[in-house]
Amino acid sequence: MATAELTYAVRSIRRNVRRTFLSVLGIAIGCSLLLIVESFNRGKNELFARAGAESGTGHLRVTPAGWRVKRDPRMRLAAPEEALRRARALPGVAVAAPRIRAQALLAMGTHVVPVELTGVDPAAELLAYRYARKVTAGRWLDPGDAGTLAIGRAIADRLGVELGDELLATTVGRSGRIESAMLRVVGIVTTGSEELDLTVSHAPLADLERLTGLGGLGEVTLMLSDWRSFDAARAALQGRIGSGDEVLTWPELAPDFVGHMKQDTDTSRLVTAIILLVVLIGVASAQLASVLERRREFAVLSALGMHGVRLVRVVLAEGVALGLVGALGGLALGGPLAWLLAHRGVDFTRLLGRSYAFGGTVIDPIVYGDFGAWILPETFLVAVVATTLASLYPAWFAARSDPAQALRVAQ
Amino acid sequence: MVPLSSLLALAATVAAGPAPPDVDRLLARMDDLYRSRSSIARMEITVTTPRSVRTLRIRAWTRGEEEALVVVEAPPREAGTATLRVGENLWNWLPRIARTIRVPPSMMLGSWMGTDFTNDDLVKESSLRKDFVAKVDRRSAEPAGWWLTLEAKPGVVGRWARIELLVGDDELPIEERHRDRKGRLARTMRFDEVRPLGGRRIPSRMVLVPEGDPGKKTEMRYLEARFDVALPEDVFSLSRLERSR
Amino acid sequence: MAGSTLTLAWRNLWRNRRRTILALMAIGLSQALVLLFDGVLRGYGDWMVDVITGPMLGHVQVHADGWRKDRALDRTFPVDPPLRAIRGLPEVQSAHARIYAPALGAVGQEGFALLVVGVEPAAELGAHGLLSGADGVSPSGRRVLVGRSLAVANGLAVGSEVALVGQGADGSLANDLYVVAGIVETPVDLVNRMGVLMALDEAQGLLAMPGEAHELVLRAGDPGRSKALAAAVAALPELRGLEVLDWKRISPELVGLVQIVQVSWTFVLVLVFLAAAAGVANTMLMSTFERTHELGMLLALGAGPGRLVRLLVVEALALGLAGVLAGSALGGALVALAHETGVNLAELTGGGPSQISFAGLRFSLTFYPSLTAFDVVTSVLGVAVVSLLAALWPAVRVARLQPTAALRA
Repeated sequence: MATAELTYAVRSIRRNVRRTFLSVLGIAIGCSLLLIVESFNRGKNELFARAGAESGTGHLRVTPAGWRVKRDPRMRLAAPEEALRRARALPGVAVAAPRIRAQALLAMGTHVVPVELTGVDPAAELLAYRYARKVTAGRWLDPGDAGTLAIGRAIADRLGVELGDELLATTVGRSGRIESAMLRVVGIVTTGSEELDLTVSHAPLADLERLTGLGGLGEVTLMLSDWRSFDAARAALQGRIGSGDEVLTWPELAPDFVGHMKQDTDTSRLVTAIILLVVLIGVASAQLASVLERRREFAVLSALGMHGVRLVRVVLAEGVALGLVGALGGLALGGPLAWLLAHRGVDFTRLLGRSYAFGGTVIDPIVYGDFGAWILPETFLVAVVATTLASLYPAWFAARSDPAQALRVAQ
Repeated sequence: MVPLSSLLALAATVAAGPAPPDVDRLLARMDDLYRSRSSIARMEITVTTPRSVRTLRIRAWTRGEEEALVVVEAPPREAGTATLRVGENLWNWLPRIARTIRVPPSMMLGSWMGTDFTNDDLVKESSLRKDFVAKVDRRSAEPAGWWLTLEAKPGVVGRWARIELLVGDDELPIEERHRDRKGRLARTMRFDEVRPLGGRRIPSRMVLVPEGDPGKKTEMRYLEARFDVALPEDVFSLSRLERSR
Repeated sequence: MAGSTLTLAWRNLWRNRRRTILALMAIGLSQALVLLFDGVLRGYGDWMVDVITGPMLGHVQVHADGWRKDRALDRTFPVDPPLRAIRGLPEVQSAHARIYAPALGAVGQEGFALLVVGVEPAAELGAHGLLSGADGVSPSGRRVLVGRSLAVANGLAVGSEVALVGQGADGSLANDLYVVAGIVETPVDLVNRMGVLMALDEAQGLLAMPGEAHELVLRAGDPGRSKALAAAVAALPELRGLEVLDWKRISPELVGLVQIVQVSWTFVLVLVFLAAAAGVANTMLMSTFERTHELGMLLALGAGPGRLVRLLVVEALALGLAGVLAGSALGGALVALAHETGVNLAELTGGGPSQISFAGLRFSLTFYPSLTAFDVVTSVLGVAVVSLLAALWPAVRVARLQPTAALRA
């Protein structure tokens, strides 16, 4: 860019404080709003992802090959100890929880409730399964427990049992034999949803092994420190364990949830597009307004020799400069707000009254915004593009106007 | 003439009432009442619910604890339907569509044929003598017999913490009250219609009434039975299953 | 006085066409976009409710007392009298019966668990029925439809003969042979995984429950009035002793889902509105400040400050209203257009599944934006007020200036 135009542009900006201020403010507000909306949308997605994973699905899971299609809880890992060891040693793993599942009946007298009994490692489960932390009576399972059981409140109600009661657990064991065992209720979990309560029936691994007569493990579920890294982590883990077992990612485990998230992402993009348009229009029209009122000024410039392409350059330069400063303003304004959103979140619980359960998970309606590296480039891009586009018509308009005409009448 | 002393002795015995039974022996007898190495029987099962009454007449062959064949004789709509159990496997033969279908393990839990009996009632080898500690509770005048209290031994796997058993003077069960692990009465089983069956004199009718479920009960009645009979080798086979009986 | 202000304002606006057009466009486009967003939000909400109440749930359901708790096979009720009475109600768009019976199926000797779903083929072939994805194939007599996942898991194909064994409502053993007439992908996950769709009368015969069923599914002409419809149906004498519930009572968790989505989108709507307002305000402010010279001229020529403010206010009001109305017209037209064609998210965002499944339901990603009068009125007022205020403040400021200062600007 030629120096003269640039100099003029910069001086123009510096001279007209109010105009500059208004322009920058307008751009800044627009950008910051865009920032907040984007942060919110991304945070919304994370909300669903976290809820799903922490409700027991996990981020990664080592399963027997073929389980993905058959989903038979009686299948066992080909190399359970190996899988567990490798899983725990994998970098980025927060916790690896081994499990055994079995379709069973829990009975007290003539009251019977069908459940999916889950054999777990109590300590690992505390970190991997959020309902382990929602024990409202008694306690969660202890390492070293034997013959103990933690059940959902709805199950306890249907059976008419309390802490300390012994239930008869019946399942179909090895090669079809009907096996039973007594399990003592040591903890009752209240998830907040009856549907979910019915999924809570956890006992120590050893008890499930004995009951089903099938040793080993049915799965090892992993929680990662960064849930987004599951693809890379899967590749790493699959390479370290044998081919007898398969590592599945969270989207493969809960396609339902992923579908919803994808749809939500798509809709969010639509939203972003709309708000982007709104911001663009706002910025553009403000810029246009300012340029329209400067016909005289441009006429003078034109008469003085800065016309045509050079004038265009001036206007464009002004626009870009304003855009950059506006972007900074946008970051200053929206940045802290987005940070606040990311850390405090927007709590809709009061509005909605409670948390919600569906699809096998409980969702606390608190949205934590996303605060990441994307903020910087996105803000600058939007601001500069908006002002550049906004400056095009005025630039063309300014270049075209006939100086004599413009100077003749103060409009 | 009978000596006065004998008369007096006799009178004394009558006045004192019958002596409390040997509990252990009694329990062993209860366990073995219907048990045998093999058996063939015809039975009637009536299931009553608040909404319907249904009666099945069946013929059953058993060998040991692992093999059983049940063929439905009535009602006509279901006549010929058969169920074969060999070890852990269960098959149904359906004559109407001429198909044999194996029941998948997941469907083996739950009630047996819609009755109040559960599968582990029938499949489990439960033994009063082995699993419970019994003692005499009190005498019953009408019907004449003894009330025994059976407490489940610690470590026993089962639904019942306590069973109250009324045994008649003829050493046959009259009533069983099952209490769950919290001591609540869960169901009552009554035995009556004592008659000769397969060389034994046993109650031929059992009625099971669950507690807290008004209008529901299951009755099982032996029409005829033979115990410890010789059974042909191929009784418990799929091919035998498929032949209409 | 007012008359001349109006005339003056009008002339001002007319003379400075570019400025006027610019302001109109800024206000109008912003308004149009806010309305568009609002329409999308509302359409999305309607769509979610539509999907949720779609094939499985309906708007109102009728069951025998206690059936929802234990799903007992014998908790049936005669359906012809209630259906006749229900179909007589004007608010009812459709009503039909269903049977649900867990059963055992077998192709060879190995049995597998499944769920027999007895349906009225004519009713379920409609847009909201279970058979909507069945390509016109419907079950009748011995010909049944099988859910895709169930078919794949057990090696069933069109033409396969499958034995079904279940328990009749009278407790008897129900069994018969059926032929697979089609393999379907219904909107309901459960049906795809475990369902065998059978004609209702055939199911009634198989399960020894003539003229009876487990459930009635009703659709209302106006989904928003489901609760009232449920009350009206429950009051019918033929429905005495039966349980009648609207979909919100049956699936409160799905209500929650819709609510969460609505609330978070409304949050975004507020932000969109703020952005629009900021844009409009920016434009009006900028525009007015840039006219300082011109306004100073007017002051110098003897116009009183009060008069000036009034002039500017009238201009802003005219602009605001005109812009907002034009924008509403445009926004309304856009929404109407989108409503006609439907918005398919997959196409819009370029690729991705056109059908997704969630909460056991499968639905297509096309929804229909719509607006209510309330939406339009609120945004009109909002934007108009904003543009007015945005012109007012600088007007007051300029009016207070010394003419010479103003002229110098």
